[in-house]
Amino acid sequence: MLEADGLHVGYGDAPALWDISLTVGDGELVAVVGPNGAGKTTLINAIARLLPIRRGRLRLDGVDVTRATPQEVCQRGVAIIPEGRRLFGGMTVEENLEIGCYRRAARRARSESLDRVYAVFPILRERHRQLAGSLSGGQQQMLAIGRALMARPRLLLVDEPSLGLAPAVVDQVFEVVQAIHRDGVSILLIEQNAAKALEIAGRAYVLEGGRVVSEGRPGELLTQSHIREAYLGGGA
Amino acid sequence: MPSLTLLGQSLVSGLFIGGLYGLLGLGLGLSWGLLRLINLSHFALVLLGAYLTYQLAGTAGMNPFLTPLLIVPGFFLLGVVLQWAFDFFRVNEFSSLLVTFGITVVIESVIQWVWTADFRRLETPYATLSVRAGPLFLPVTEMVMLLVATALSLLTWAWLRFTWVGKGMRASVEDPDIAAAFGVSPRRLALLLSGVGAAYAGVAGTFVALVYTLAPSQIYGWIGVVFAVVILGGLGNPLGPLVAGIGIGISESLTMAVAEPSWAPLVSFTLLILVLVLRPDRI
Ligand SMILES: Nc1ncnc2c1ncn2[C@@H]1O[C@H](COP(=O)(O)OP(=O)(O)OP(=O)(O)O)[C@@H](O)[C@H]1O
Ligand SMILES: [Mg+2]
Repeated sequence: MLEADGLHVGYGDAPALWDISLTVGDGELVAVVGPNGAGKTTLINAIARLLPIRRGRLRLDGVDVTRATPQEVCQRGVAIIPEGRRLFGGMTVEENLEIGCYRRAARRARSESLDRVYAVFPILRERHRQLAGSLSGGQQQMLAIGRALMARPRLLLVDEPSLGLAPAVVDQVFEVVQAIHRDGVSILLIEQNAAKALEIAGRAYVLEGGRVVSEGRPGELLTQSHIREAYLGGGA
Repeated sequence: MPSLTLLGQSLVSGLFIGGLYGLLGLGLGLSWGLLRLINLSHFALVLLGAYLTYQLAGTAGMNPFLTPLLIVPGFFLLGVVLQWAFDFFRVNEFSSLLVTFGITVVIESVIQWVWTADFRRLETPYATLSVRAGPLFLPVTEMVMLLVATALSLLTWAWLRFTWVGKGMRASVEDPDIAAAFGVSPRRLALLLSGVGAAYAGVAGTFVALVYTLAPSQIYGWIGVVFAVVILGGLGNPLGPLVAGIGIGISESLTMAVAEPSWAPLVSFTLLILVLVLRPDRI
């Protein structure tokens, strides 16, 4: 589905990612964990083509998209749940969802997709005429997830969906991510909450200081003591 | 104290001129609010549209109300080309003032070269046509101008509110990157919006030719009051300029009736300064 090969990404003169290689297979749920400032968001934004890639190759279904536009990547079935949700706060809940299905292929399925999202998040149906900016944090995260689902993605990029949410809502968010995965969507999940992410991921990468320092199955990663210490709070 | 009839007549003419202010502000406000470009050349396009109407209707004998059929498509293309150039040269909100001022000067020179600096007046039978309503006279041309301004404002509102293109446009104003990640092409929409804004300038130009005597330097006369209209009405809000335009138009004409005509421009600037002081977040 997704292959990144030796990606270098930076902001202006400051490099942020070095030589990142990573794959997400069809139907796989892959987690990327790492501390603050490791470059996780940079990685997701580079894959969504919101940041220029300096060096390396990015392929989607074997097609080179290293220089593609965000719109082209979107047309190929990639959707993003960005860090901090980044909803269109001045637009209504339903309008946010509609932007989700802006791409041609998803537009036709608008009402069907809306019903599906509203079935998963009934609160969004109740508030569909309200401005997105007026929702609570948890509801905003649901809307960000719903917006991405509206795109009918084949690959979903998820950036810290649990950030700033109450524990009960975090659980709900993770359940929904798993449900999306069960429906056959490939997922690249970024989380600081490594314990949770590793629980549901099939494979994971550990990112530190802009480099991949470790990769493998969650079980294997958890046997490496420095990873346990760094991300799971001591040797527990 | 002026008579009630005079006040009523002032109210009416303020209302109608307000329609023109609204129409001028609609185009300027769309590009300012949605593209973050302060397009001074909008005023030059309005005057160019006015001179073209003068040419087509006065010299070539076309019905002036039909001239937009020719002017609007041409101006739409012009707007698209201008936006393409702004994009190509990476013009931003601040440089846009300088760049579009330059374009304005160029268009003014072209107008002066083709039509000279002499005053031009489009003579049409519509100029004197008016309907009587009790003691008041309602000039037909200006009434149509208000109707067209209202219709275009409402259409623009509905366009932004209900269509895919409109929603994409609003989304990309709020967060261009995320909008792009969902397939919205801000650049393409900007071309379209700029074309529409220029087309509105053409329509406004036709009415300017019908209502006013034309001179090339007139371009600069509009800038103050239309800026006030756009800022009072709220940037990027398609209905705001019309409401603000009518408010300013009426205040101006009442000031002229009650006090001195030369005080009229003070009204819009006083309102503008008040808004900027009380609600600086409107820009
Ligand atoms: N817009 C930016 N301009 C310049 N540098 C940036 C920008 N965004 C991030 N960086 C830098 O790039 C590096 C990686 O940041 P990034 O946001 O990708 O980390 P992250 O792993 O997502 O962190 P967090 O867990 O806090 O979200 C950091 O050193 C950060 O300072
Ligand atoms: Mg991040």
